[in-house]
Amino acid sequence: MLKNIDLAGRKAKLRQENRFWTWVVNAWLIVFAIISIVPMVWLLLAPSKEDGELTNRHPLAFGNFGNYVKAWNNLQFFDDGVLFQWVINSLWYTAAIVIIATVTASMAGFVLSASTIRFKRAFLVSTLITMLVPPMALVVPIFVLMDAISLMDKPIAVILVSSLYPFGVFLSYIYYSTTIPKELYESARLDGCNDFRLFTKIALPLSWPLISLLAFFAFIGNWANYFLPYILLPSSENFTLPIGLGFLFYSTPAINPGVGATSVPIYKPEIALAGVLIALPIMIVFLVSQKRLVRGMLAGSIKE
Amino acid sequence: MAKLKQAKRKNNFAMWVMFSPYLFLLIAFGLIPVIMAILEVPHESRVNPDGGWDAFKIVLQDFRFLPAVGHVLGFMAIFVPTTIIFVIAMSLMLDLNPSKWKKWLRMSYIVPASISGAVAVLVWYAILQPTISPIREPLSWVGITTSDQIWQTKNLVYIFAIMAFFAIAGNWILIQFGSLQSISGEVIEAARVDGCSALQIALRIKLPLIKKYIVYMGVLIFAGGLQIFVEPELLNKGIYLGIAESWSLDQLAFELAFTTGDFGGASALSLMLLVPSLLGALVVIFKTDMFEEAEVNRNKKAEA
Repeated sequence: MLKNIDLAGRKAKLRQENRFWTWVVNAWLIVFAIISIVPMVWLLLAPSKEDGELTNRHPLAFGNFGNYVKAWNNLQFFDDGVLFQWVINSLWYTAAIVIIATVTASMAGFVLSASTIRFKRAFLVSTLITMLVPPMALVVPIFVLMDAISLMDKPIAVILVSSLYPFGVFLSYIYYSTTIPKELYESARLDGCNDFRLFTKIALPLSWPLISLLAFFAFIGNWANYFLPYILLPSSENFTLPIGLGFLFYSTPAINPGVGATSVPIYKPEIALAGVLIALPIMIVFLVSQKRLVRGMLAGSIKE
Repeated sequence: MAKLKQAKRKNNFAMWVMFSPYLFLLIAFGLIPVIMAILEVPHESRVNPDGGWDAFKIVLQDFRFLPAVGHVLGFMAIFVPTTIIFVIAMSLMLDLNPSKWKKWLRMSYIVPASISGAVAVLVWYAILQPTISPIREPLSWVGITTSDQIWQTKNLVYIFAIMAFFAIAGNWILIQFGSLQSISGEVIEAARVDGCSALQIALRIKLPLIKKYIVYMGVLIFAGGLQIFVEPELLNKGIYLGIAESWSLDQLAFELAFTTGDFGGASALSLMLLVPSLLGALVVIFKTDMFEEAEVNRNKKAEA
């Protein structure tokens, strides 16, 4: 009897301890969530204040909406409104990369999964290697190549290089290998379907989840890319937004004390607004696509 | 028979056509740059007047080389293990008591991933600038009231480690949480019935089961860290002039190529940096079953 009571007591104590630790863990998870969003909150709120208010007021206080417009207008004073050109450049380079990368990767993944072409295994292994080596490792060699074929300072150079999308090929290879049964291809072939139609009429209509996954990773990998366009596109009118933001650091006194006073009204709120233009689209895409992020990165190993 | 052969060749022709855009990109921007870099190395230059493979030796003896190696290794020694351990701990904590409200926490964790590259430099400049920082009070508690207490060359390994950590930790927490979700509930339940505590389950059951994802993450984090460029480059040229001159190996490669005009040396350095990334990639591909689908397909083919 005594033993029983003792056991019940221990169980209760254990439960209490468990509850305590659960509480501690949850509290930490919440604290880290707050730590995670503070930098973004600061960035989003910074353009709502005047430059002086960034120092005088609470760092997370909201100024007013008019200041966003004012900061945007001030940014237009920089180099005859070149910022607008950077926005357009970023949009069209990224769109072109997303389209070319998604199309080429989905076709290549389909071929690797459905065909019997020669060197298939070699292609697959080189795709995996290219996917795991960070693209930055090849930037200087790529510069040497682009210089040799006179594609320097041409947007097409960045677009083509960034459209090499081995991770996308791998994703689509896995997708087609696991979701579309081989028998479907066989019976379509027996019905006289050629390989082009096999892709466009059978595989593609079944692969919208894949296409959105490919577009998602292509977008997040390229929208804020810095090193490659920095090296391949030296002229200001070809800059993307991230390169332009760096250029604003260099050439205005907003955060660079080395630059003397200028007549261009670019201060911290203006720079922060340029930062928002880069970070906000990526944040939105991340938030609506977090499931895609997990699914894509774990592709090939987890079967749902 | 001949007809069948012809039909097969035709089929494969279509497959090759669909594969060729990717193959073109893979060869043009994955393979050729590496070959060109190798060919570029022995070219004569000001620092290597006789040309030849001494370019490797000359880079290794460059007075900036060893300090850059020291910086990058110091940065990686902090960033890589901290990030891996933190990500694993966080994902295990999330997995401990999954509840619906925690999806908001997971969403918060990926917010910092949208602050990368140039924007990250801007935001961390602000966070570590006591006059405008959103954490100015916590900074003052530890006695930091002016920016020159923080922004010194000797502190950069920590600062870049923090920046790199926040840029990727959240994404990996989500991904590893996803990998933990793939463990069958029955395994965990069986361990619990056998008297395993939550900690034992985490260390002895869950971690071994997601080992391959941890290796995969480790290789990607390592390879990415080795190529650090944007943060020191922008900080050095755009904010605190001279604070991170030739700080990282990629910066040194960039300096060699674009300031000194020594493309042979830059290519030699790039190739040397490529080796550890390649080795990491080969480990993931051949020493883990991360890409088991690729293997399964190959085995099937072998059986056939």
